[in-house]
Amino acid sequence: MPPYMLRPVAPEGDRLKPGRDGKTVFEAQCGYCHLVGGMGTNLLTKQQMMAGNPPAKGLLSNRDDLTADYVKAVVRMGKGAMPQQTKVDLTDAELDAVAAYLGKAG
Amino acid sequence: MKLHLPPRVSPKQFQSAMTAFAGVVGKEWLMDTDADRDAYADTYAPGSTEEWPASAAVAPASVDEVRAIVRLANEHKVPLWPVARGKNLGYGTAAPRMEGTVVMDLGRMNKVLELDHKLAYCVVEPGVGFFDLYDQIQREKAPLWLSVPGNAWGSVLGNALEHGIGYTSYGLHARNLCGIEAVLPDGDLVRTGMGAMAGNPAFHLFPMSYGPTWDLAFSQSNLGIVTRAGVWLQPAPETSLEIVWDIPKVEDIGWVIDTITPLKISGLIDQNVFIPSWLGKMVLKGQRKDFWDKPSAIPDWRVDELLKEHKLGYWQVALRLYGEEPVVKARAEVVKAAMKRNLDAAPQEHWWRQGDPIGQYETTMGVPSAVPLQMSDWIGGRGAHMGFSPVVPATGKHVLDQMALSRKIIADFDVDFYASFTIGGRFANNVNMLMYDRDNADEVAKMRKLFDALIVQTAKAGYAEYRTHLGWMDPVMETFDFNNHALRRFDEKVKSALDPNGIIAPGKQGVWPAAYADKRGSAYKGGN
Ligand SMILES: Cc1cc2nc3c(=O)[nH]c(=O)nc-3n(C[C@H](O)[C@H](O)[C@H](O)COP(=O)(O)OP(=O)(O)OC[C@H]3O[C@@H](n4cnc5c(N)ncnc54)[C@H](O)[C@@H]3O)c2cc1C
Repeated sequence: MPPYMLRPVAPEGDRLKPGRDGKTVFEAQCGYCHLVGGMGTNLLTKQQMMAGNPPAKGLLSNRDDLTADYVKAVVRMGKGAMPQQTKVDLTDAELDAVAAYLGKAG
Repeated sequence: MKLHLPPRVSPKQFQSAMTAFAGVVGKEWLMDTDADRDAYADTYAPGSTEEWPASAAVAPASVDEVRAIVRLANEHKVPLWPVARGKNLGYGTAAPRMEGTVVMDLGRMNKVLELDHKLAYCVVEPGVGFFDLYDQIQREKAPLWLSVPGNAWGSVLGNALEHGIGYTSYGLHARNLCGIEAVLPDGDLVRTGMGAMAGNPAFHLFPMSYGPTWDLAFSQSNLGIVTRAGVWLQPAPETSLEIVWDIPKVEDIGWVIDTITPLKISGLIDQNVFIPSWLGKMVLKGQRKDFWDKPSAIPDWRVDELLKEHKLGYWQVALRLYGEEPVVKARAEVVKAAMKRNLDAAPQEHWWRQGDPIGQYETTMGVPSAVPLQMSDWIGGRGAHMGFSPVVPATGKHVLDQMALSRKIIADFDVDFYASFTIGGRFANNVNMLMYDRDNADEVAKMRKLFDALIVQTAKAGYAEYRTHLGWMDPVMETFDFNNHALRRFDEKVKSALDPNGIIAPGKQGVWPAAYADKRGSAYKGGN
């Protein structure tokens, strides 16, 4: 069983201002489910393996096929077992930063 | 989602309320677009989310902002539905009971105000999640453990205020609350217990007030908006032992309850003992279609096969003891001897000692996880569930009677039976998970009829729910019928006196202020 993963402290400063630290915001706000052993990671690992990809692709931070727009749509609308996230969970500025961090496919 | 206005509020009146709210919190924290309304809809809605539509959400950052909004809400006659983190999945998520109510999302008030290592308590704002508090405890290396619900994505206070349940010695979460600060329906601010004296250091230590004690009057309640509270925490034990028995047959639950309850009441076991049926394990192993590919309920012969294939008992008891090693050992001997009277197979034993790592899914050690949300993948699509959650006396007879009743009703509807019992003391909470794909209208309609039948039949047998989904708050309140619904009459007398405009959470738990008395049951379309 993987040990509990401590999430980083959310970045200081105005949550509404552009230029947030996407990686830290992702780990702090999405890390409940998308770090090692999280709900999202578990389900995505299974899906990725079924598609013939390596299990490490279950971690969103290892994916290179996500676009920023796709990330934004899933966050706001939810998908499968993932509930939709409010602007209190993740402000638009934070979501922009997370989408830029994860959206390696543009 | 399109805009649903609160009753008797014109579009113009509503707009001026929104402008006024935005003046308090800033326009970014007043969320009133169609997309915002979707964000605050019930994620697991059994039917259209427009049955329980919020008109907007407002997210204050301080007590002063909460008070200002409450005063403005009174002025504009626009009701508010406070949520802490709003992750009440299975019971309505963040959505309000009455159409057009504005969700007050307290998620931005997320400070851990105190974490007392010695007296083992914390003081938190409503937006503090289980993960946040756990992380804070780790960072401070505080010798304290949490008690968490299965899905720990929510809020420490939100869960406790909703009478949520965890699986440690501190598992009756509302009982851990001590000393509450709440904004009243007129915008006044009150502190309960010793906190009624300014600066009293025993605010979060002594659980009663001088005079009537109001703390729990703010739980499952619409009498105020809790802005902070003390929460008692478990001192980290020196050791802990988990003892796991697989219990072979469905009817064995009777002797299991009769074995564990006396030990729980005597204090030998201090944990809330969670006893899930096999499906609780199965839902994390894959998707339903991998194990049974028909829409009909999984038949008993297939259940037997699955139990064999996956080496599962019908039930599992994973009991945990906490404390100094010799004490835990001695307690374990008593528990094992008691269980052995009915079950020969030796249990598995897992020791943990201070300094050992703690795994990520140790709910009974207070580690927060959102992994149980995976359950919605079992059904696939937009998988969801509602919990039908009656309370029964913790005796084998009551538990077996209740189980036979709900099992038969559920079978008559051709739905899978997935029950758990949590022994919390002299009572057991029975949660029956009713799972459905939100996009399968027939299945959703069936679940609603089933839910109605469960409430009615269970009440006839003399049992009631401890908590329910928005859509069934009125019918469940209706079942509390002593002396012509005296409890509801009392609740509503108090509610209407304190909240003449019915501003806070009208209809919560079936308690309606006079201002919206005509709304009772209006959103109840269960079964039709
Ligand atoms: C798979 C799964 C497993 C689950 N397991 C459990 C479990 O084991 N135990 C359990 O208890 N629940 C369980 N749940 C249900 C639910 O997810 C949790 O109870 C969750 O903690 C509730 O959400 P929250 O904490 O964000 O509370 P919120 O949604 O914020 O609050 C719940 C309600 O409390 C009231 N409230 C909240 N804050 C305030 C306030 N400040 N002032 C006044 N009233 C307030 C409101 O009426 C609100 O609707 C489970 C859900 C799922 C999907």
